[in-house]
Amino acid sequence: MDHSTLVFASVFPVLSLSHTTPTPIATPDLGYTAPGTSFGGPYAGRNTELQGQAQHRAVKRNIAWSCATRFLSLPRDVSLAPRLQRNKEVEEALGYLLVGDGKSDDGKEESLVEWYTNECRLHFANHVRLGLEELWRKEVELRHSWDILDETQRILEQVQSVYLQPFNEHLLPFLQQNASNTTIRPSRPTQLAESDAANAVSWKFRRDTHAVFAHCLPLQRYSKTLSYVLYDAACRLFRIYTRQDGLQPNTTPEDTREFRKRMTTLLQGLERVGLGGDTAQKAFAHAMNKLLDSFITSHYLKVDWYSKKSIVPHLKLWIQDGFCPLIELVLECLRCEQSSILPTEVSSWQEMALGRLGRSRVDNLFDFVIHWDKSLGAILDIKEYLRVSGAKQNLTSSFSQQISRRLLHPGATTTYILNVYISIIRSFHELEPKGVLLERVARPIRRYLKEREDTARIIISSLLTDLSDETASKFSSNGELSYEIASEMAKPFANYGQEADEELNWNDMNWQPLPQDASPEYKKSKVEDVIWFLLTLWEREDFINELKNIYGDHLLRCQDPEYEKEIRLLELIKVRLGDDKLQACEVMLRDVLDSKRINGTIRTTINVPTATALVTPDHRSVEPQTPGDLPPRTPQPRRPTRSTQHLTPSAPSPAPPAGPTLNAQILSSFFWPQLRDDTFRVPAQIDALQKEYESRFERIKGMRKLRWMNALGEGSITLTLDDRTEEFDHLTPWQVSVIYAFQLQPDESHIGQKRAGKGGEGITRNVTQLEEMLEMDAALIHQALSFWVGKSVLRETSPNTYAVIERASSNKAADEDAAAAAEELATIQAEQTTTVKSQADLLEEKKDVYTAFIVGMLTNQGNMPGTRIAMMMRMMVQGGFPFGIEEVRGLLGEMEGGGKVVGLGGDVWGVRK
Amino acid sequence: MALSNSRPNGNATVAARLQKELMDIMTKPTPGITAFPDDENMTVWTATIDGPAETPYADLVFKLSMEFAPTYPYVAPTVLFKTPIFHPNFDFSGRICLDILKDKWSAIYNITTVLLSLQSLLGEPNNASPLNGQAAELWDKDPAEYKRLVLARHKAPEDLDA
Repeated sequence: MDHSTLVFASVFPVLSLSHTTPTPIATPDLGYTAPGTSFGGPYAGRNTELQGQAQHRAVKRNIAWSCATRFLSLPRDVSLAPRLQRNKEVEEALGYLLVGDGKSDDGKEESLVEWYTNECRLHFANHVRLGLEELWRKEVELRHSWDILDETQRILEQVQSVYLQPFNEHLLPFLQQNASNTTIRPSRPTQLAESDAANAVSWKFRRDTHAVFAHCLPLQRYSKTLSYVLYDAACRLFRIYTRQDGLQPNTTPEDTREFRKRMTTLLQGLERVGLGGDTAQKAFAHAMNKLLDSFITSHYLKVDWYSKKSIVPHLKLWIQDGFCPLIELVLECLRCEQSSILPTEVSSWQEMALGRLGRSRVDNLFDFVIHWDKSLGAILDIKEYLRVSGAKQNLTSSFSQQISRRLLHPGATTTYILNVYISIIRSFHELEPKGVLLERVARPIRRYLKEREDTARIIISSLLTDLSDETASKFSSNGELSYEIASEMAKPFANYGQEADEELNWNDMNWQPLPQDASPEYKKSKVEDVIWFLLTLWEREDFINELKNIYGDHLLRCQDPEYEKEIRLLELIKVRLGDDKLQACEVMLRDVLDSKRINGTIRTTINVPTATALVTPDHRSVEPQTPGDLPPRTPQPRRPTRSTQHLTPSAPSPAPPAGPTLNAQILSSFFWPQLRDDTFRVPAQIDALQKEYESRFERIKGMRKLRWMNALGEGSITLTLDDRTEEFDHLTPWQVSVIYAFQLQPDESHIGQKRAGKGGEGITRNVTQLEEMLEMDAALIHQALSFWVGKSVLRETSPNTYAVIERASSNKAADEDAAAAAEELATIQAEQTTTVKSQADLLEEKKDVYTAFIVGMLTNQGNMPGTRIAMMMRMMVQGGFPFGIEEVRGLLGEMEGGGKVVGLGGDVWGVRK
Repeated sequence: MALSNSRPNGNATVAARLQKELMDIMTKPTPGITAFPDDENMTVWTATIDGPAETPYADLVFKLSMEFAPTYPYVAPTVLFKTPIFHPNFDFSGRICLDILKDKWSAIYNITTVLLSLQSLLGEPNNASPLNGQAAELWDKDPAEYKRLVLARHKAPEDLDA
């Protein structure tokens, strides 16, 4: 014992230091004669009597103490509970010390109970503690936690009984007896107080022992272990499959009743040895917290894809009928003050559970949206969850993240994004009919969609698609068509047109204020109208411009002579966008319908069965060609029906097989978008037909002029080769012209005769020749050539030189390979060819004007930022300026290169002086 | 101006007409002359004229403002020099004395013709009805002094903006 310990003990008594061994056999103190008094003098008697009394008590107490403590001292080995029999001497000593004169009233002397308590402590420290500490020294492995707790509980229980038994048997009875003896006293309260005193002593003793027990266990480790045990128990009781500890549940269901008993026993045992209380309750709360998560993950995260019902009611029921009883049971075992559960607590737990369920659901919301409407159940869960406070923010932020991670990246096709967007619209309509959330989460998608170049095209072409025909193949997620949009369009539509200002409609008895969490731009929208969302992606003007282009293209390609779908689409769009803006589209539609009529009229006026073409001002038709009298070896185009003018749908022409026929599409150029206007020479017969058509048209329409646009036609031809005859429909005019050029021209017939038959090849021409003959752009020629190679009609005999394959049998394999490759090439090229001019073409074409605008603007208005230039351009340029800031910046950059303007930094531009 | 009030809906027609003129100016620019609207309502324009070569105004650039009434082109635009100028027919506030901007106006004139007229007036002032008497006098008597006064009065467009 070192010095410092001694010093400490002198101030704060340390029990283990001052604790007496149970054998204080001391010589009785007989007292002294007080100074100044005579020993045995006559007056000494009284004093002596007093002194003697005190001395006598001390002696007696010492003797009793010695006896009692010896009796009560604890054996080393606790496994055997000491069965002590009191003899008379001990009994007297105990009685004397506890309730008799030996009782330490003044608190100066150590009481026997205190001593015994201390004895227990020391005993525990010396004999039990080491074993327990050994048990808890290391991290407790999960699978051992039950055993360790059981073991601890067992040891402590045993030790406790060893400690308690003497106390209860030998100490307590005296105290209680004492209490009951005092019944002589009449006052009941006092009696109660006395008996309480006995209880208090007993309670204090237990408390002290429990403190010693608890003290020797590592608190944190113990509470974690207990918490895990409770969690484990609950998991087993509720048969939870997905557990946080990663344990796989037994496949055979355990006997829950037995298990529940084991848990109850353990808890009660722990409570008995003082390990319940706050620590255990905290551990329990912790366990229940985890349990809730696990339970939801295990039982409720699965979505019911078939019944499409919300599982929230089940969850609430479980909280009430499963979770609460368990808690009640545990609380009872731990003997908490509050053993029953208040209804408010139940509902707050339900809310807690709902919040967790909701958050887990929201984490997967994107998947639910994709699988709408099979995921209705999950969406309904989230709908319930939205009532929890903070849920909307959580949903918005989480879903936005999911969108940006999973949807708005270059890997997703526009069609896919559109389809998902539609699913989002539909599912969020279910989620929150007012549309505030939808508006919030859809904003990034809308912004992103606007940036994609093909969005408008896909939307409009999808709108124009017929659901019923060849559905399966066209609507893959990579395709250009969205099945969702097409099916939306096919739905019968309600009257969306009324955009009356609802705020001013005083008679509206169903008026409701805007949702309080709505943003300033929030508009009460017809949330369920998917098309409305798509059409409002852009400014109305921009959309209509784009619509004009696509609609025009579509009209020209359309195969349906009645234009039923086109008419319907136009009407639908008019309802949504207002018919005042769609005049151009109407004119386009009328043009194609009129053309049909004019074609009919003109054809009847031509008595000879030559083909007729109709044209209206500035349109043109493509020609059919027939070679009546040409040598039979060359491919002979026959029965070409050409529609002229921007592709026209050619009605099956009743023209006689003898010669080519011509149908024209007459377009009012002012209203149509800019169309392809490649010029090239069409076959002679077609040219003749065009002239004929033109003159008749002028007769009907009173001198209005036709301008033929050869590139926009469509033709059908029949090729007569040496060994076969092939028919082709829907060819472009340049394809027809090119193949026609492989026919012998009148002035070279003798050459053709000479060369025929060699290697099964017919006439050979190279690209340069073709360019001269047709005055056609080389790109178009190449495209047409690869098309024909793909059809095994031509063969590339040497680079840029092609020959007709008159006999298919010769050199077959090589031709097929070449054909396959060329066909692929032709397909790709064909996709790039549209009838309407692209924006990039337009920009290139008008660049000079735009440059002049910018220079004029900067000269007169001073230096300006690029954004303002773009804005001014949109306002000032007659006919519209369909470009954005990016194009303007590009233009400015070019002009800077050309020395016309100069960038002043910070996107500000000025003229170069 | 008998016709001046005969047009209903003047603002819309004048905007359309001006937009067309703008388009014409842009597609067929006239050297030495530019003009551009100040904002989207098109009724106020800013124009620039380069001084004609071999006159005292050579190599100088003049800024003007043009304002169009709703009845344009049936009434003349109001034209003012923004750049200070020393010239017999223009006063120090930039006001202009030119017959076609007054009683000789006709609806066949347009922005380009007005600006061309002003450009030629720079080289051939009408000294019969001067707004600036000193200039009219010096024009014939002392070309050197005249040129000095022109340069002294002139400010580059950039300075004007500042």
